[in-house]
Amino acid sequence: MALARRLDQHMWRFARSGRAHFAVPCSGHEAIGAGYGVALEPGRDFLAPHYRDLSAVLAFGLTARDVMLHFFAKAADPCSAGRQPYAHWGSRRLGIISLQGPQPNHVSHAVGVAWGSRLLGEDSVTWISFGDGGAQKGEVHEAMNFAAIHRIPCVFCVENNGYTQSVPIRLESAVAEIWHRARGYGIPGVLVDGMNAEAVHEAAIAAVGRARSGEGPTLIEARCYRYLPNTSNDDDSRYRSREEVEGWRQRDPLIVLRAQLHAAEADAIEEEAETIAAEAATWALEQPDADPGTIYEHTYA
Amino acid sequence: MPEERRLTLLEAIREALADEMERDSRVVLLGEDIGRLGGVFRATDGLLDRFGAGRVVDAPMSELGIVGISVGLAMRGLRPVAEIQFADFIHAAADHLIGEAAKIRYRTAGDWTCPLVVRTAYGGGFRGGPYHSQSVEAYYSHVPGLKVVAPSFPADAKGLLTAAIRDPDPVLFLEHKGTYRSVSGLVPAGEHVEELGKARVVRPGDAVTILAWGKMVHESLAAADDLAEEAVHAEVIDLRTLLPTDRGTIVASVLRTGRLCVVHEDSRTMGFGAELAAMAAEACLDALKAPPLRITMPDIGGIPVADEMEDAALPGRSRIVAGVLELVHRAGGRYARPEFDPAIPEAASVMEVAMRREHLEQVMAAVESVCADFPDLNAEFRWDGIRRHDEVRFDLDLGRRAPAAGGGTFTIIDYGEGSSLLGIPAVRPGQTAALRVGAVREGKSWLALTVDHRAVDGGTAGRFLGRLKAAIESGGGGL
Repeated sequence: MALARRLDQHMWRFARSGRAHFAVPCSGHEAIGAGYGVALEPGRDFLAPHYRDLSAVLAFGLTARDVMLHFFAKAADPCSAGRQPYAHWGSRRLGIISLQGPQPNHVSHAVGVAWGSRLLGEDSVTWISFGDGGAQKGEVHEAMNFAAIHRIPCVFCVENNGYTQSVPIRLESAVAEIWHRARGYGIPGVLVDGMNAEAVHEAAIAAVGRARSGEGPTLIEARCYRYLPNTSNDDDSRYRSREEVEGWRQRDPLIVLRAQLHAAEADAIEEEAETIAAEAATWALEQPDADPGTIYEHTYA
Repeated sequence: MPEERRLTLLEAIREALADEMERDSRVVLLGEDIGRLGGVFRATDGLLDRFGAGRVVDAPMSELGIVGISVGLAMRGLRPVAEIQFADFIHAAADHLIGEAAKIRYRTAGDWTCPLVVRTAYGGGFRGGPYHSQSVEAYYSHVPGLKVVAPSFPADAKGLLTAAIRDPDPVLFLEHKGTYRSVSGLVPAGEHVEELGKARVVRPGDAVTILAWGKMVHESLAAADDLAEEAVHAEVIDLRTLLPTDRGTIVASVLRTGRLCVVHEDSRTMGFGAELAAMAAEACLDALKAPPLRITMPDIGGIPVADEMEDAALPGRSRIVAGVLELVHRAGGRYARPEFDPAIPEAASVMEVAMRREHLEQVMAAVESVCADFPDLNAEFRWDGIRRHDEVRFDLDLGRRAPAAGGGTFTIIDYGEGSSLLGIPAVRPGQTAALRVGAVREGKSWLALTVDHRAVDGGTAGRFLGRLKAAIESGGGGL
């Protein structure tokens, strides 16, 4: 969580100062990715992350250097070799299902991956996270319906930060309780405090266990808040007050976590996170740029 | 030699699915009504009983979900074959075909791949109306990363579907409904794989290259039989795979014949024929004796259900014959003539006239008679004035029967039976008007009059045509 926050801060500064294309902040969402990330087994399970789940992909084995290579779209970007903008993580080796642009198309892909695991006789669970905005699309209905019918071994997690970029949830859904939708599919629905890693972890353990034992999917709604604008191209002052943002700052997931640790321990973690993040950013910036000669590669096998 | 049996195209597809499911346990089927019902066209008949509900899965009505979930199966290493009942419904899943399946390999630099097949039934001729008749190949052939296959013969259907299932990239497999049961042929038993990306010359010829796929291959072959009776030997190429396109086979043929005719059921503008015409223009311009000809559905808002309307909309044997005859017999100019276009009859210079099958003498007499009152149509435009002629001397262009000799004062073009219903003639130098008599159908013919606008204005031309119609329909040349 601390490393995700520090990387987020570095990326935000690079993008806002014009030294990188595009930043997609995760600040405020860290507890969710960390909470479920450690409930899964990298190498066994699959992860279809929300694009704010930097903490989850770090938990799954992507390193700070990997993240920064991807962020700068360098030749060695392990997620896309310079082809996708930041936060489109993916790694076949690590079981991170490549994240695409149109939200939330990965929900269908992940249901297919989860179903495929069962067809292959493996007991992998696939975690699927997406935003409250993505939750409104027909894509999610079709995928959840299919997963529920066939008890596909997966978990659906809606990360509800109250906004779809600028549009508040009340204009996205007449029902504020997204987790209530689970009843319509005949699967369990769970509401959890997404600012509290422990709470998310507990819900994740239960949902993953249920999926692994063949009982089918669970829908988790994790409530959280995004502290920074939607992306480095967004201006959130046009649609939400500073007072509202500051109010949520009091519930910062890193503050919640710090309260569960000794101060010295927390300080050491923060310091180490900053060292790793700064080193990764400096190192990645110096790596070879992408080679335009490779644009013809990988359209077909 | 492997054993061969006579199968319909539908049976060949079913055999390919069954054989691949037998060979590779990673092959799974997902689609609407593909289980107990065996598919609305019965392509998957019997497969549920044979392979079980774990591998032959009846999906909810979710085209987007069927393709999206199949993308995930493919990413996980399975070999999904999704069925979309009618190609008309596939656009709900377009995002997963265009935005996802086709891009996964590229955007992950080969880390994730998508060996997916989406089968779908396309094409008209069944009174299915706008939502059960469409051809969708052009939309998806615009997508690098996808492969688009459309078989025409049963053996190819089996061999190409087998190759598609084994292919490491996503394949859209288009099956023309009109070939399912009405086309049969010998199909090898057991292993049979046809390489993707290869066209095939299904009838050699030297006068023109006809490119087609699916049912239009069969229409083109029938047209080639008719053309052979006119001593026009057409080469018919079955594209088989549209994307990637077999440029080598196409270009070699067009360079040899010097003429290109593309036939597709899809509408005209931005249809796949446009790409093939561009290919011919880029690679064969010096060899071309005429502009590329596209015989297609016109740019209309859908395929209508009424018998007469659907038949008028869809291309077929007779339109191919007429188009190719014009292409072969045209007088060498490199301009393109408009093909039949339903918008044109509204123009002032076109008129429908009751017409007998034998009518040439009658038309000539009528023109001669009406020209007496409209002398500017039997004249020559000169910058110092319009020079009217005392008598009408005809340049008759009867196509292959008798091309125009020249030297006349008024041109009549009449290619007779089997030619286009409507064509716009060109005015010859030294004349001010040309009349094209369209093929007679159900006792009627479209007359198209082109005039030199420097000598004759549109009102005059319209009145001339009106008088001509009256003269012809009154049964004689006189008034």
